[in-house]
Amino acid sequence: MSGAGPREAVFPTRQSLGLMKSKLKGAEIGHSLLKRKSEALTKRFRDITRRIDEAKQKMGRVMQIAAFSLAEVSYAVGGDIGYQIQESAKQARFRVRSKHENVSGVFLPQFESYTKEGVNDFGLTGLGKGGQQIQRCRETYARAVETLVELASLQTAFLVLDEVIKVVNRRVNAIEHVIIPRTENTIKYINSELDELDREEFYRLKKVSNKKQRDTAAADAEILAARQRQAEKDKENGGAAEEPDSVDVLGEQEDTDVIF
Amino acid sequence: MEGLFFNVNGGYVEGIVRGYRNCLLSGQNYSNLTQCETIDDVKLQLAPAYGDFLASLPPNPSTSALAGRMTDKLVSEFRYLIAQATGSTAKFLEYLTYGYMIDNIALLITGTLHERDTRELLERCHPLGWFETLPVLCVATNIEELYNSVLIETPLAPYFKGSLSHQDLDELNIEIVRNTLYKNYLEDFYNFISTHPDFAGTPTQEVMTEILQFEADRRAINITLNSFGTELSKLERRKLYPEFGKLYPEGSLMLSRAEDVEGVALAVSAVGDYKAFFDAVGLSQGGGGGLGGMGGGPADGKSLEDLFYQKEMEMSKLVFTRQFTPAVVYAWMKLKEQEIRNVTWIAECIAQNQKERIGNFISVF
Repeated sequence: MSGAGPREAVFPTRQSLGLMKSKLKGAEIGHSLLKRKSEALTKRFRDITRRIDEAKQKMGRVMQIAAFSLAEVSYAVGGDIGYQIQESAKQARFRVRSKHENVSGVFLPQFESYTKEGVNDFGLTGLGKGGQQIQRCRETYARAVETLVELASLQTAFLVLDEVIKVVNRRVNAIEHVIIPRTENTIKYINSELDELDREEFYRLKKVSNKKQRDTAAADAEILAARQRQAEKDKENGGAAEEPDSVDVLGEQEDTDVIF
Repeated sequence: MEGLFFNVNGGYVEGIVRGYRNCLLSGQNYSNLTQCETIDDVKLQLAPAYGDFLASLPPNPSTSALAGRMTDKLVSEFRYLIAQATGSTAKFLEYLTYGYMIDNIALLITGTLHERDTRELLERCHPLGWFETLPVLCVATNIEELYNSVLIETPLAPYFKGSLSHQDLDELNIEIVRNTLYKNYLEDFYNFISTHPDFAGTPTQEVMTEILQFEADRRAINITLNSFGTELSKLERRKLYPEFGKLYPEGSLMLSRAEDVEGVALAVSAVGDYKAFFDAVGLSQGGGGGLGGMGGGPADGKSLEDLFYQKEMEMSKLVFTRQFTPAVVYAWMKLKEQEIRNVTWIAECIAQNQKERIGNFISVF
């Protein structure tokens, strides 16, 4: 019984039984809490997965439009304007700030995009021709980058959540399949050991009391025999003999200790 | 009279250009191109016109590589022409390259301002705008040196003189510098056409005047439209308008005062062609929504810029009805450039699977 399954190395005492019982209770509470956390995270995870799917499809469309607007620019300008744009851009107009969101104790990084107004470094590019297309292309690409930032935010959250969910699930499983059975086993072991001790004790007590009874019986028989012998002797002496010393029960003599 | 001796010097060049003109893609070619499924098909369709220039491209080339090779062909043909030309015809052809030189110099000035390695910029320069002293620009390390000792040696020096100082190069937006140069270039070209004894009073003057006036007006209108919402002040804007053209002087003045699209439409309403363009794209009704380019609101999918290109192509086509003039070279170059843009557009549409807009090119033949 106590040997089945792993158990913790404890001495089977009542104290450790109490410890184990409180440990089992703690483990069960922890298990249900972690289980709920894992469910909450999984719900969030599914939500993010769905949004990633949407964002990716949106990104596909937006990037296509953006690439096409670039083609429009090259048609309107009739040449490569990449270098001019690179050189005239000095300040970032489109910026990203990051913040944290707390989902059941997990910090998910979130990126938030914003445009800094008033920064328009290549506003004059294509002044002669194609300027409108360039500005429009810039707006299209700003939207595309916005989608990318959103996607990046979701992907990061996805990765972080994935990791956390794995850890939580591992804990839940560990508690469910290792810690709880082991604690239960230990409790069973302690219980069975304690029972055995009880039985042993009981048996020993019985044995001791048996022995005692036997010893008392033997002593009684001896006394009886001594009395009979005395009586016979008295009869022989004709009653001349003085009264024999009866055992003084209430006297100075001590009883032998009863040992259990 | 001009026809009597023109062929002595310019006959060969003109003949060659008329031959080149027959290589331009026709409407039939374009409709074949739009049917293509891959860039390789486009390459195949272009093979008769571009031949060995496209042969060395890898399978399924990028559209920019394709455009690059097509430009190479234009460049090599133009170089042949300029090598054959003599006298005033040669001078005329040189004028054609100045526009590209302005772009190249603007590129190099940008590079110098940002202290880039100007050598790698040379590779980005347009080959038609190449001149002997262009690499010397790379020697200059600061803008003052560039201005004082290097720019003065370039053919564009007169355009800098008087309108731009070296402080301007440092402080002004490069786009303003570029447009100032271009304005000076257009005025100089116009002056050259009208006053040179070989051209004054010939068909050359007639057609080139019309084309250059159109170009000047187009630039003025574009600059005005594109400057809305930027830090370009009205006074600065006024300085960028070429001082000739159908809009000059009243229209230019009104353009310089225009604050919105309606103002521009009002300014150009004196000239029938431009008024028709603005009406066509619905800008004169004050929408403003259709302002931006080809994807915008206009019902027929044409933007103002498309209409300008269309007009330019039609004018260029008409130039070929004239004889004894080097203006056909100008017309041919414009047509060829448009063709390269068209093919690039079609190739982009095919590459990006956006077939619904593939017909948005301009074909005049």
